[in-house]
Amino acid sequence: MPDEVTKEHALTLWRQMLMIRRTEEQLAKSYAGGMIPGACHTYVGEEAVATGVCANLNHEDAVFSTHRGHGHALAKGVPPREVVAELFGRVTGCSRGRGGSMHLFSPEVGMMGTSGIVGPCILQATGAGYTFKLLNKPNVGVAFFGDGAMNNGAFHEGLNLAAIWDLPVIFVCEDNMYATEVPFAYATKNQDVAARARTYGMPGYSLDGNDVLAVYEAANEAVQRARSGGGPSLLHCKTYRTRPHAEGMRDAGYRTTEEVESWRQRDPIVTLRDKLLTENIAEEGDFEEIESEIKAIVEDAAEFAKNSPYPDPATAAEHIYSV
Amino acid sequence: MMREITYTTAAREALAEEMARDPSIFVVGEGIGARGGNFNTTLGLYDLYGPMRLRDTPIVERGFVGMCTGAAMTGSRPVVDFMFFDFILDSFGELFNQTSKMQYMSSGRLKMPIVLRGCIGIGGSSATHHSGSYYPIFVHIPGFRVVMPTNPYDAKGLFKTALRGDDPVLFLEHKSLLNVKGHVPEEDYSIPFGQAAIVREGTQATVVALGSMVRLVEKAAETLASEGISIEIIDPRTLAPLDIDTILQSVQKTGRLLIVDETFAPCGIGSEISSQVMEKGFDDLDAPVMRLNGLHTPTPYSPALEAAVVPNPQTILQSIRDLLAE
Amino acid sequence: MATEIVMPRLGWTMEEGVLVEWLKNDGDPVKVGEIIFTVESDKALNEVEAFESGILFIPPDSPPLGTTIPVGGLLAYLVQPGEALPSVKSAISSSVKIDEQPRAVAASGFQAVSKSNGLPAISPRARRIAHELGIDWTALTGSGRTGRIVERDVRAALESRKSAPVIPTPQPVEISPVARRAAEELGVDLAALGAKMPGKRITREDVERAAEFRSPVSASADEKRIPVSRIRSVIAERMSASAHTTAPVTLTTEVDATELVKLRKQLKGDSSANTRPVPSYNDLLAKLCAVALEEHPMLNARLEGNEIVMSSAAHIGFAVDTERGLLVPVIPNVGSKNLRQIAAESAALVEGARAGTLKSDVASTFTITNLGMYEIDAFTPIINLPECAILGVGRIQAKQVVIDADAELLAIRHMMFLSLTFDHRLVDGAPAARFLQRVKQFIEQPYLWLIG
Repeated sequence: MPDEVTKEHALTLWRQMLMIRRTEEQLAKSYAGGMIPGACHTYVGEEAVATGVCANLNHEDAVFSTHRGHGHALAKGVPPREVVAELFGRVTGCSRGRGGSMHLFSPEVGMMGTSGIVGPCILQATGAGYTFKLLNKPNVGVAFFGDGAMNNGAFHEGLNLAAIWDLPVIFVCEDNMYATEVPFAYATKNQDVAARARTYGMPGYSLDGNDVLAVYEAANEAVQRARSGGGPSLLHCKTYRTRPHAEGMRDAGYRTTEEVESWRQRDPIVTLRDKLLTENIAEEGDFEEIESEIKAIVEDAAEFAKNSPYPDPATAAEHIYSV
Repeated sequence: MMREITYTTAAREALAEEMARDPSIFVVGEGIGARGGNFNTTLGLYDLYGPMRLRDTPIVERGFVGMCTGAAMTGSRPVVDFMFFDFILDSFGELFNQTSKMQYMSSGRLKMPIVLRGCIGIGGSSATHHSGSYYPIFVHIPGFRVVMPTNPYDAKGLFKTALRGDDPVLFLEHKSLLNVKGHVPEEDYSIPFGQAAIVREGTQATVVALGSMVRLVEKAAETLASEGISIEIIDPRTLAPLDIDTILQSVQKTGRLLIVDETFAPCGIGSEISSQVMEKGFDDLDAPVMRLNGLHTPTPYSPALEAAVVPNPQTILQSIRDLLAE
Repeated sequence: MATEIVMPRLGWTMEEGVLVEWLKNDGDPVKVGEIIFTVESDKALNEVEAFESGILFIPPDSPPLGTTIPVGGLLAYLVQPGEALPSVKSAISSSVKIDEQPRAVAASGFQAVSKSNGLPAISPRARRIAHELGIDWTALTGSGRTGRIVERDVRAALESRKSAPVIPTPQPVEISPVARRAAEELGVDLAALGAKMPGKRITREDVERAAEFRSPVSASADEKRIPVSRIRSVIAERMSASAHTTAPVTLTTEVDATELVKLRKQLKGDSSANTRPVPSYNDLLAKLCAVALEEHPMLNARLEGNEIVMSSAAHIGFAVDTERGLLVPVIPNVGSKNLRQIAAESAALVEGARAGTLKSDVASTFTITNLGMYEIDAFTPIINLPECAILGVGRIQAKQVVIDADAELLAIRHMMFLSLTFDHRLVDGAPAARFLQRVKQFIEQPYLWLIG
């Protein structure tokens, strides 16, 4: 962890992580209450990755995410109201009810979609990098994907293309050890992920994905490199999801409760709070204030979503073409 | 002013003129950089615009199609040049789950200005990995435009519309048409999608001809004309959107319809046209709608076999005669 | 505020679960994440965690253990220390069941074409053109490769009809329209008959006698054979079906139509209505029947399986005699149209029926058949299936009738018979009679239905 940590910076990061956490908890509750008709893959435990990376981005930078993407959407600037309403299938959702959890779109803030298919986000982020280089813009493309995408062809083709053309792209792997229930250790012969960055010819970072300050620093370097024409980077963030793969799925058989508990002890939100208190960078009151602020925001989001109308069925076939 | 230029030159002119006009257009594909394209699709452009806009790729169709999808979402206008259209098959996942759906999923807030071009069709013993057409699949999926010009004038005009629009367009060029010459004006023009061309007017039967089949059907019509038989020929030019009204009006006049298509019959364009005509023009039909297609088989290599799997002037003539006898 | 604890949704398809066991007691403190109860669903036992901290309050009317509860069903509450316990009969948890997606609109299908009945195959185009040109295609031979009749065959038939040689008659045969019709129906050769009685105007009696005296052993010169046309065979089939299926009863009543006659005279005498068709008696009857049917919907009904289907709109068919046979064109929604509209529509329909260009769109719900022009008084019309009633109308005849029996007052009035055949399977005599009575009243007092 870096030595100099300003209170403002740390609390901003902490607030973002808490926002994601409380929104995800609300979604899990709403799912159990039957409010979410489709799937819901929660990000609980991984908040530091989305937060640390997106804190370095602006609205013109383009983020491409995967099926576990609520955290990326929120960190990129999609309001909790729009995320919750979208999962409830309402017209006020960020995707106007057309997408649900796995098709969250808000191009206005550079959120270029979560996805139900593993892999394409890597290629699309590379494409965003191509556009920015072609049009001489200082922006970057960012792909968030899991360990399950690391052996997909898109990873190979996307990283290679970004490297040979020096594109402004950041590839962020959120390695939570399991692709649904398949361990990364099973799916990969060579476990050295840092080596992959080298193989493709780009800088790589191996990170504690639950240390938001470390993620922030690494992402900061990668973003600067990209913006200044230095090409792509790979961030390998080791983290963990403490809830099941998807809400409503049994979390048994592929991991032990001890393992889950051990990662709960490394909760990114708790550890940052403890660090800031121990090092006298912040006080209890600061956290309480943020807690109650976030609580109000999330409750409002749920209420808003619950009271929002459904989309008009007559619009079901609109927006297939631009003309 | 009209001049006679080849199909390839006409299409390349459209590309060059649009690239000059719009700096966000760039081409991606194998061999389209300094080499100028296996089919001369980008000849001379690399010297003008350099590698950023004429981007040679490794052999990674899924990769560069996915990449161009992301590029099109973020402000540029890619043209993916597949060389042989068969190579597009590796990228179906990106095309069908991402490219075609992006506008819909984003409720129209994202556009998808991407052109996917390649050479299709059977001939020259190219065998089964270099002879495909596959376009009915794209017509079936919502979100794609499918364009198949059959002469230089249409090639330039339709390519312009493809490059200027904000939808994903499949631009299909039959290999046997690349060196065909035709009149092309020097002035700027474009042809809207969804307008069929009546290639020849007639009264006794309507023949809808696709791609390379247009010229063969024209030959058959000449032969029949010398026997006093009058055939109307329609070239749809775009298959999605399809100009069914022109076809229906023609069938209203003639009462008989034959669709000639090099590619396979099952679930092909002929099935779709036939179904629509049956639904909307049932009482105008004097005979069942007929289709003449290539054989439902991978494409063989030996010239003797290759010739046997595609319609030719004799089989086309016979089909028209059979239709008139019904 | 107290937090509700509900039956959770533990899987995509889960709709209900069984409450197995409370792992905490009423009044126990609960922390976020602690397991508070177990649920059985789809053969699996699930532990359910608390999403909030608080004190567990299990109301007395909470579902007992072992009950099956739908997802979202209220089980208990988590309250904060010092908070008042929620009233036991509080509102059910608001977990909304999202409606199923509306089913996609089915692609339009086609009605099955009527079963082939020995008739030749014909292309849709040829059938349409034959209809337009008034060609009976059932008599043609097809030149299509499979024997199908196609457009060229129909057009060829039209040409040959035009250029067919005219059969010369030695003398013009004078014959009444009724007799001509009878001759057609009975298959009597008019030319031959005329030759037998030169100079005489042939009557229906002559025709019928001639038909009677046809020898059973057919000498072809005395006989005329007409193939049963399509229309005739359809009529035959429908009349037969009606006769065999329905339980027909005919009610007759004699009506004072003087006011109706007055009404018609006024309409006819309106010179400003020169270009528009004057409402005929049939038009007036159609309108007043539509009004009466609104009050007696049981007469505007049909039988479908086990259900009597009553139509709220009266689509009135009226029998039209044409060269080819009986046709019943339909005026839809008579009740919502005024007399001028009805008159215009019926005129167009009669013309269409005679020219053979009718397209049937709407099925009739009630039929009127008027034989008054043939000096018929009362008759027993056959129900036009699947309707349940048909009104037969007789001639209007000036008669001397009793106006006031006590005062022994007589007057000349225009009298008319109505014959209502109804299907006793659907309607009883009294309701049918009441409907007929109302129709009678409407004829006698037109103001009642003219108001609209």
